[in-house]
Amino acid sequence: MAANVPTTIQRRIVVAAGICVMAFALVGVRVVDLTIFKGQVTGATVVAPAHIVATRADILDRNGQLLARDLPVFDLYAQPHVFWDKAQAAHDLARVTGASENRLTHAFATEHNYVLVARQITPETQDRVMHLGLPGLEFQPAVKRYYPQGSAAVQVIGATEAVSGGKGINGLERGLNTRLISGTPVRLSLDMRIQYVLAHEVEMAREKYDAHAAGGIVMNVNTGEILAMASLPDTPQSAAQGADPRRNRMAQDDYELGSVFKIFAFTLALEDHTARLDEFFPVGPGFKIGRFMIRDAERMPAQMMARDILAQSSNAGTAQIALRSGPDRQRAFLTSLGLLSAPRSEIPEGSAPIYPRHWGQIETATIGFGHGISVSPLAFVTAASMVVNGGRRVQPTFLKQDGDRRGEQVIKPETSIAMRGLLRYVVTDGTGKSADIAGYDVGGKTGSAEKNEHGRYIAHKLLTSFCAAFPIDNPRYLVFVMLDEPHGANASGVMALAGHTAAPLAGSVIAHIAAMLEMPTSAPITVAAKASAS
Amino acid sequence: MVRILNFFFVSFAALSCLALYRVSETTRVERVQLSSVQRQIVQEKSTMNVLQAEWQRVANPDRIQKLAQTHLGMDDTPTLELSSFDLLPRRGESTPLNSDPVQNASMTTPQQTSSNLHLVVANGN
Repeated sequence: MAANVPTTIQRRIVVAAGICVMAFALVGVRVVDLTIFKGQVTGATVVAPAHIVATRADILDRNGQLLARDLPVFDLYAQPHVFWDKAQAAHDLARVTGASENRLTHAFATEHNYVLVARQITPETQDRVMHLGLPGLEFQPAVKRYYPQGSAAVQVIGATEAVSGGKGINGLERGLNTRLISGTPVRLSLDMRIQYVLAHEVEMAREKYDAHAAGGIVMNVNTGEILAMASLPDTPQSAAQGADPRRNRMAQDDYELGSVFKIFAFTLALEDHTARLDEFFPVGPGFKIGRFMIRDAERMPAQMMARDILAQSSNAGTAQIALRSGPDRQRAFLTSLGLLSAPRSEIPEGSAPIYPRHWGQIETATIGFGHGISVSPLAFVTAASMVVNGGRRVQPTFLKQDGDRRGEQVIKPETSIAMRGLLRYVVTDGTGKSADIAGYDVGGKTGSAEKNEHGRYIAHKLLTSFCAAFPIDNPRYLVFVMLDEPHGANASGVMALAGHTAAPLAGSVIAHIAAMLEMPTSAPITVAAKASAS
Repeated sequence: MVRILNFFFVSFAALSCLALYRVSETTRVERVQLSSVQRQIVQEKSTMNVLQAEWQRVANPDRIQKLAQTHLGMDDTPTLELSSFDLLPRRGESTPLNSDPVQNASMTTPQQTSSNLHLVVANGN
């Protein structure tokens, strides 16, 4: 019996073996757990490559077209002390990267251990550098902001600092900087198809009429979305001629817009019932106010009905209608339309309006026909949208919106309906005939303002504009175009007035964009046999 | 008995070590492969980003118009949307042009010289 009793050593061995079994059992259980039960979790752990650089988010148009994106590039650095022939290295690197050879030669000759050769080189340039076979080169990953649409809407989209990961310096790149840095892609209200048409048509008109500058805006009157905004010239070559291609004339600059401003004098008169559209006003010889005589650019009949005063764009008649509203009411009305403050939108380049400190009778009369007050085209378009959209407030926006975004009532709905009819009358029977496009029922108003230089109005230097809404019975879009110092052309009978320059331009823009905006023509469709002569 | 147990446990321990080493090594290799694939994915995404941007550049309307005018002889003329999908007749409904009178034209759509018909729309004024 005694021989079967385990010795102390044997007991210890058994205890040690038991501990080993437990330890290995634990290891075994853990192995099974890791390989079978948690295998997928541990295997899915993603290790981001270390060389990825934080990027700025994309900017897209309303249809998802890419407008701005960060693309991978490299900053190239060199360690000159490892070059065999520093002068040859400087020459070769300058040749393939475009860097200054003098700068590189000088930098390599000094005691710097680390020299920046070139920033933001493309992968193709990187390949060419690699083929040089030089030692001591280092490629630092970086990003470069790329605008694939070139100069399209360049003033609206803006730009960033030239360095990798730089901040936005103007336009939406600056206005939406925080959002873009956070990595959230931005979908704009801009439609690049509309933008292209607007810029193309405006540029053709600018060339045709040899205008100093030009611009245009297309706005959705129910949402405030800007579908297109162009300021021309915008090419880098124009900078050589003294123009700033990055200047957003539609938002940054204030203009005395002239007769197109009469829209507001008539809206106020209809809103307050201070004038009837069939009421006659004496306009023929002009209108005397104080020591000033307000005359019209063209000969007018002795008396005109109010609706014809707008249709024929009579300053003398509009001054009388504006005076019926009075200075205080006119000022309050323009304030309610947002015309006496800088328009708020996502771009930081808003411009505050310029208007008289003393708003008396004379100022009321001149502001009625668009002189003595300067506003940005963006502010004007926003206010004009409120006139035709049923009288409700909209805010201009460059971000895509869904649904109706009209706010509070600013103008009575019946006033808005009456103004639509009146604007249609201007196009069918007034100065805006050239803007009429069959099937789209365009309504609008011309504006031909003499430019003010050093306190004097210059008769031959005009700023012509046209504000069009369509379809006018229930407007969806507003098109505003402007030509700065257009010259008459043979095609328009050597006339530089808005009816001959800006109105046909607006009509052409509408004819091109209506189908893109999915607006079928309202005119009956017919099929006719082609004439034998054609 | 103790010897058998010892042999068994030592063998088990040795096998466990081998299995653990194998799993560990397989995991390491897989991790390297995963990292390589991830790097490749990032590279491909980067390439796609560049290609998308390049596509936007070459599909720019300005460039397309110039090419169309230069190589295809196309002209810059407005398009005309004759109807919308909402206005299209449903199956069984009468078509909009049924027995409507033909009206005079006020605007002519761009026409091809080879065509012997052209579409016109009547002035809505």
